[in-house]
Amino acid sequence: MITLRTEFKKIKRKKIGLTMCALIGVQFAWLLWSGSRPNESERLQGWIEMLHSLPLISVIMMPTIMSVLASRLADVEHKGNTYKLLHTLRRPGALYHAKVACGTLFILAISIAQFLFIIALGYARGYAGHPDWNYYAAAFALNLACCLSLYLLQLLLSMLFFNQMIPLVAGLGGSMLGLILMYIKMYSFLPWGGFLSAAQAAMDWNPETRIVRFYYREFSPVELCAVAMIFVWIVGFYTAGRILFARKEA
Amino acid sequence: MPTQNLVETHNLTKQYGKIRCVNAVNIQVPPSAIYGFLGPNGAGKSTTLKMILGLAKPTAGDITLFNMPVNEKNRMKLLAQTGSLIESPSYYGHLTGEENLRIIQTLKGCSEKDIDKVLKIVRLDEARGKLVNHYSLGMKQRLGLAAALLGFPKLLILDEPTNGLDPAGIQEMRELICSLPGAYGMTVLVSSHLLSEIDQMADHVGIIRKGTLVYQDTLESLHAHSQEQIALRVSHTAIALDLLRQDGIEATQEEGYLLLPMMDDTYVANLCRQLIEQNISLYRIEKREKSLEDIFLSLTGKETSL
Repeated sequence: MITLRTEFKKIKRKKIGLTMCALIGVQFAWLLWSGSRPNESERLQGWIEMLHSLPLISVIMMPTIMSVLASRLADVEHKGNTYKLLHTLRRPGALYHAKVACGTLFILAISIAQFLFIIALGYARGYAGHPDWNYYAAAFALNLACCLSLYLLQLLLSMLFFNQMIPLVAGLGGSMLGLILMYIKMYSFLPWGGFLSAAQAAMDWNPETRIVRFYYREFSPVELCAVAMIFVWIVGFYTAGRILFARKEA
Repeated sequence: MPTQNLVETHNLTKQYGKIRCVNAVNIQVPPSAIYGFLGPNGAGKSTTLKMILGLAKPTAGDITLFNMPVNEKNRMKLLAQTGSLIESPSYYGHLTGEENLRIIQTLKGCSEKDIDKVLKIVRLDEARGKLVNHYSLGMKQRLGLAAALLGFPKLLILDEPTNGLDPAGIQEMRELICSLPGAYGMTVLVSSHLLSEIDQMADHVGIIRKGTLVYQDTLESLHAHSQEQIALRVSHTAIALDLLRQDGIEATQEEGYLLLPMMDDTYVANLCRQLIEQNISLYRIEKREKSLEDIFLSLTGKETSL
């Protein structure tokens, strides 16, 4: 807890919260813009559609947001050349855990804000009924897990490289890749595709009637494996980061 | 058998690839001493200090701190009694000096009151609210020292603490370091590539050259190495050298001079007479003292920079 507390002291004046708010604000603006004037049919399917839209926005934006977050947290150490001091005060593993915990709290705050926003937006637009809490809870948990896997990957890169352009480019590349993977349906087993693998809702578009229908997904065993991959990435990136950070000589 | 030294290394070695940076170094730092770790740039001083602090893993050898062999289990416990400033100071530039010290104080788990004390010691109490990015290099260096002093550890490890300071800053830092054993009972292990600096600060000295410890003793003993010699400049050096050797005098030839061990005035007068009788012109007689710098150079090699 002491090490985690110092993490927050270190980022004072770094405006990480503000940066996160700005980036999440873009997501909110996107959601506000899309389907701003729903008709009756759209209102009926509104809550499901939200769970279809959110992963699409996340797959594009979250890799960049996670790279910014990880980079900001790691950069304070690189700039101040502080590893050689910190490693005499705390075990490298403890310092790594503090960075992971600090980032996780930010991710948790971002995810809560995202879901509170879409729920508030749904009610404001007059969507029929209430959100299906089971699906919303699953979407929240899996969105959080996907963000965490990407954050751990970015933290690993940000701590390894002094030049923060490398992890930032990796984050932007992840966003681009997510966008491409979305079209070629090859996203399932890649860390950036986790948001799409875990999407709780899908869309069915009938080309003849041109009617769009949203529905809650039922996961096949292969699709469940793809969802499980998110947790494999979390464990993998966490372990790699911990080992590399412990072995890093100051 | 337990030793009385506060820091001891036994055959401490560090190898990066095929390059051996530190080669079987045995340092012994007695308690309440200021141990000057001297060596040219790239000799292996920082690597040795980093290994003592656990920042670099030794390839071979072991380290004893406070009479306890350092291992992974007790490393943090032993380091809790040390303070360090390795190479350049570590700091968070976007925070104030006081905020920086508060982070270190929290991690060290020492009293908050120490912050005020160390700020006063390094004379940064008036700049405590200023962002460290706006500090001068000397102020940053003093902040690094303040961070090392937090908790008033038994052992202070300082790597080139005067690097980049102006002459006044060097003097100030030197006085501060010199006062630490007396005022707070600290043992200081300080490295430098400047002989004069160590000469003015340390009471014990270790000299490292190309990763090997070539000298270790008190500074007093090092000074004792500074022998006095008599230098003669004559017209026929080779003949004079033969003549001296026939008389059983161990003379050496260096840069056109004959260097003789110190002898009394009567003997020198006789020697001069003998040389003149052999038709050897005597141009100059000088008394020479081997300076500390000469000793340092002879130990570390003249090709290395100071």
